[in-house]
Formats: sequence, C-alpha cells, structure tokens
Amino acid sequence: MTTSTAPTVTPSRLRRTLALAGAETRLLLRNRTAVVNSVLLPLLLVAGVPVAGLGGDGPLGARLAVTAVAVTLVFLTYYNLVTTYVARREELVLQRMRSGELTPVEVLLGTATPTLLVTVVQVLLVLAGTAVIGEWSAPVDVVLPLVALVGGMALMTLLAAASTSFTRTAESAQITTLPLVVLASVTSGVMVPLAAFSDQVAQVLRLTPIEPIVELARLGLAGQTWDGRAVDWAGAWAAAPQPLLVLAAWIAVAAGVASRVFVWAPRR
Amino acid sequence: MQLTRPAPAPAGPTTGQAGPAVVVTDLRRRHGDVEAVRGISFEVHPGEVFALLGVNGAGKTSALEVLEGLAPAAGGTVRVLGADPLADRAAVRPHLGVLLQSSGLPSDLTVRETVALWAATLTAPRSVEEALAQVGLTDRAGLRVRSLSGGERRRLDLTLALLGSPRVIVLDEPTTGLDPESRRTVWTLVRQRVADGAAVVLTTHHLEEAEELADRIAVMRAGRIVLSGTAAEIAATQPATVRFTLPAGAPPLPDVPGATVVSAAPRVELHTRALQPVLVRLLAWADAHGLVLGGLQARAASLEQAFLAVADGADPS
Repeated sequence: MTTSTAPTVTPSRLRRTLALAGAETRLLLRNRTAVVNSVLLPLLLVAGVPVAGLGGDGPLGARLAVTAVAVTLVFLTYYNLVTTYVARREELVLQRMRSGELTPVEVLLGTATPTLLVTVVQVLLVLAGTAVIGEWSAPVDVVLPLVALVGGMALMTLLAAASTSFTRTAESAQITTLPLVVLASVTSGVMVPLAAFSDQVAQVLRLTPIEPIVELARLGLAGQTWDGRAVDWAGAWAAAPQPLLVLAAWIAVAAGVASRVFVWAPRR
Repeated sequence: MQLTRPAPAPAGPTTGQAGPAVVVTDLRRRHGDVEAVRGISFEVHPGEVFALLGVNGAGKTSALEVLEGLAPAAGGTVRVLGADPLADRAAVRPHLGVLLQSSGLPSDLTVRETVALWAATLTAPRSVEEALAQVGLTDRAGLRVRSLSGGERRRLDLTLALLGSPRVIVLDEPTTGLDPESRRTVWTLVRQRVADGAAVVLTTHHLEEAEELADRIAVMRAGRIVLSGTAAEIAATQPATVRFTLPAGAPPLPDVPGATVVSAAPRVELHTRALQPVLVRLLAWADAHGLVLGGLQARAASLEQAFLAVADGADPS
C-alpha cells in the first residue's frame, strides 16, 4: 500500500457538533411541553420570591440570581442530561451516532446542547425577572458568575454522563439523581447558609461540587464571600482562587470518571 | 427505486488495491467472564465481500464491533486500511460505513432531516436526495422516523451507512426485516459499492444472501471460525445425498464404494462425496436387475446443509 497524498476536507469538530446540536434543538422545540416548562419554571421562581421570601443578606435580585444558577444547574441541567443520555442510550441512538465520524465527546456535547441552552435562557429569564420586579442590582463582577455558569454546566454535563452508569432507565433517573440533588441542597450554601455550620464543617463543605459554583456566582453577583462578608471587585477576585480551583478539580475528576464508566449501549 | 453510481470514495489512510482492506489476526473479545470471540483471523480485500455466518451467540456481532471501532479487543489485532479502528479512529472513520445490527435514530426527526444530519457529520457525503432515491425513500422523506415501518427504517439505516462513500463497509444483518424486493435493492447497492472497490464484511442469517453476495464465507461457532472458503468449498465439506425407493422384491443393495447407507430399503438414502461414480454404479446395478429406482434424487450438498451441520456441533470435514 502507498500513502495517499490526495486532499480530503474533514468537517471540523465544531461543524459536526453543531449539526447534532441543531438536530437536538429541533427535537426540543417540537416538544411543546418542554418548551413551555423551560420558560415557566424560572418565571415561577421569580414570581414566588415576593410571596415566599428568600433568606440571607444582600440585594434580593442578586440572591435570586445566585439561587437560580444553582437550582437550574442541579434540577434542570443535571437531571435533564441524565434522563436524556439514558433515554438515547436505551433507544440505541448514542451507539448509532458513535458509529459515524462524530467523536464520543461530540456526541455527548451535541446531545447536551439544547439542555445547556435552556439553562442559559432560564438564568437570563430570572435576571430579567428581577429587573421587572424592581430588584435588579448591578453585579460586582461579571466574569466570576460567567465562570460559575459555564464551569457549572461543564461539571453537570460530566456528572450526568457519569451518573448514567448506575441509571438503567430514564424513569429511574428520578432516584439515581437524588444523591447529588440532596447534597447540593444541603452543602451548596443556597438553601442552608454555610455560616450556619461550624468553621471546620463549612471548610469541608466548600470542597463539595456545587458550593464553588454558588460561591463564585455570589462573589460576582452579590459581592459576598461564602461567610457573608461584603467585598468589592478586588475583594471578590481575592476570594476567588479557592472556589476556582475546587471547581476545576471537580471538573477534572468528573471527566475522568465519566470517560471510564460511561456506557454507550444498553447492557446485555 | 433508482440506482445511480455513487460518488468516488475519499482517499484514506492507505490507498491502492494491492493489499487487504481489512486484516483481522487472532481476534479475541470478552464480555465479562464469557469469551465471545476466541481467536479468529481473516482478511478482506478491496472489491470483495466477506460474510460471517453463525447461529445467534456465535460471536459475529462481537467481532464486528471491534472491527467498527466500537469495542476494544481482548487480544489479537484488527486493521482497517492499515490502521487500528479504535486507536486511529479519526483516520479510519471517514472511510468506514457501518450498519449496526440494531440501532436507533431520533424518532421525531424526519427522514430527510436524519440523512441531512448524518451528511453534515461526514467528510465526503453524497447528495441527500440521491441517497434517499437509491433506497426508495424519496416519497417518505417528509415523514418522521417514528412513522416508518421496520423495513423502511432498515433502509434508512443502510442509507446512512453508505452516505459517506466508504471504502470499507460493515453490515450486520443488513436485510433483516426487509421484503424480497427491498432485499434485492440492498444487494444491488452492495454490489455497486464492491464494483467501485469497497471491501464489505457482512453477517446474515439468510444463507441465500451469503451465496448471492459473498466471495468468501466464514462460519462461526462458539467464538471460532470453524469453516471458511467460497460457498462451493464450504458446501463441499458435506456429502451429497442420493434418495430413491426400491420396489418390492428387489435384491439387496450392492456394496457401493464411497457411499454410506443412511437409510435402508425400501426408502434408501445414501451419502457420498463422489456423487457421479456412485450414481453410475447404482444405475448400472438397477439396469442389470431391471429395476426402476422410484423418485430418484441426487443432490449436491448445499451451504445450508454445511451451516446446519456446523450449527449442530458436527466437526467440519
């Protein structure tokens, strides 16, 4: 055999991923219930705050936005992606997609794109909602909340991929996603402020997967550290290294686990 | 259905017609404690169809999944166009067309959207409309995949497998669920690809499909290849059969060298690997005694006979 010199035009990774993402988004838009829920849920969250209140100190709009980031990432992004990946696996769609030129990462990312888009839209809707109810406050820093959102989406996607290894059906995702949901509720500092724990316990909780996302979002949006101290832009960045490192470490761990345990086809 | 010549395949990791397109050497694959493939070897050259036959659980699909780059081998090597289909995925995939035994497609996309999506991910896709026309799905292009029949879905699957003008095509039971007309269309498409130089590896439970398409055949049992060769060579591993009925009062059968009596008079069945001399001897004996051999049948062994013998666990001769 001889080595070929004929040129070939290989579609870029981005083009391939966008092709799948476009098809998946089209599928989402054809599901009216999913579309309506995507818009209604964040609006209900905003509308519910004046009625139910939102604990903690600082501007209400910023606290609402921090809550929206955490709640959306855990309850929408993570849960939806576990069910989507498992459903696609059981329908043999993942295996089909993997049999072509799409790489495994492209298949997973393309499949996740509609959920990730909805995540961003929901957070934006909450931000818009806070302005409508007159609770908007300018963020201390924009980059940190963006890093929290993007890093959070990456982490949720990888954790969802890893969680499919012990989720046999889309229905059983309601059970298998509970550990992370409960962990996030208790340890992330959204529902129970870390200041409510002893300092040693709080320092341990700062190492859990969702807490650094909340901490970064809170630093940027509310100008508050994990223990409730008010900070300016410089203070926010001075407090950011630990949550950034913890988030990066969790992303690396989740990527390693997902690449080892992800199963593409139903078990025989 | 419309049949047109496909676009030329893109150049790949290696080119030229001299060497094999697929080389499988002592391939092994495990599923937990079960050794599904136990050291099989074969080569497939450009312009050749190689069929893997075997009963369910023989290890055909397990072997193909390694060839498709979807699973790692537990031992041995697989080379597609000179490259490892798993480790050198990016080099192999643009030249590999895969039809899985069973696979899913997003059910709420239309047929045309599905083919267009697949085309957008390929290096050298053919025209969507041309591809649909080839498998007779043009009039179904606007329908959602969920509303297709099983046979139509299979044809859509085949469209995707052939859309990139692949140089190596792996077809796992390509015509399962197809009606006879659709099956012949699939055969024609495969033959076109082979005529253009593609190497095809297929599995099938339809023995006539293997006889119709395959240049060489391997029969697997319990993870091993137990027979291989052309359809005629494989069939020749089994004896020919002679059947007739002797009239009442006929003398005992003579000793016929090379023939084994499987069933005695009056409904006689003989097995032999030397059909012509045995027939000549038998007819001479009948003529000498003025006998008519009722319902005389002489049949060379078939691929099906050889396959069933292997499936039953008989050691091939």
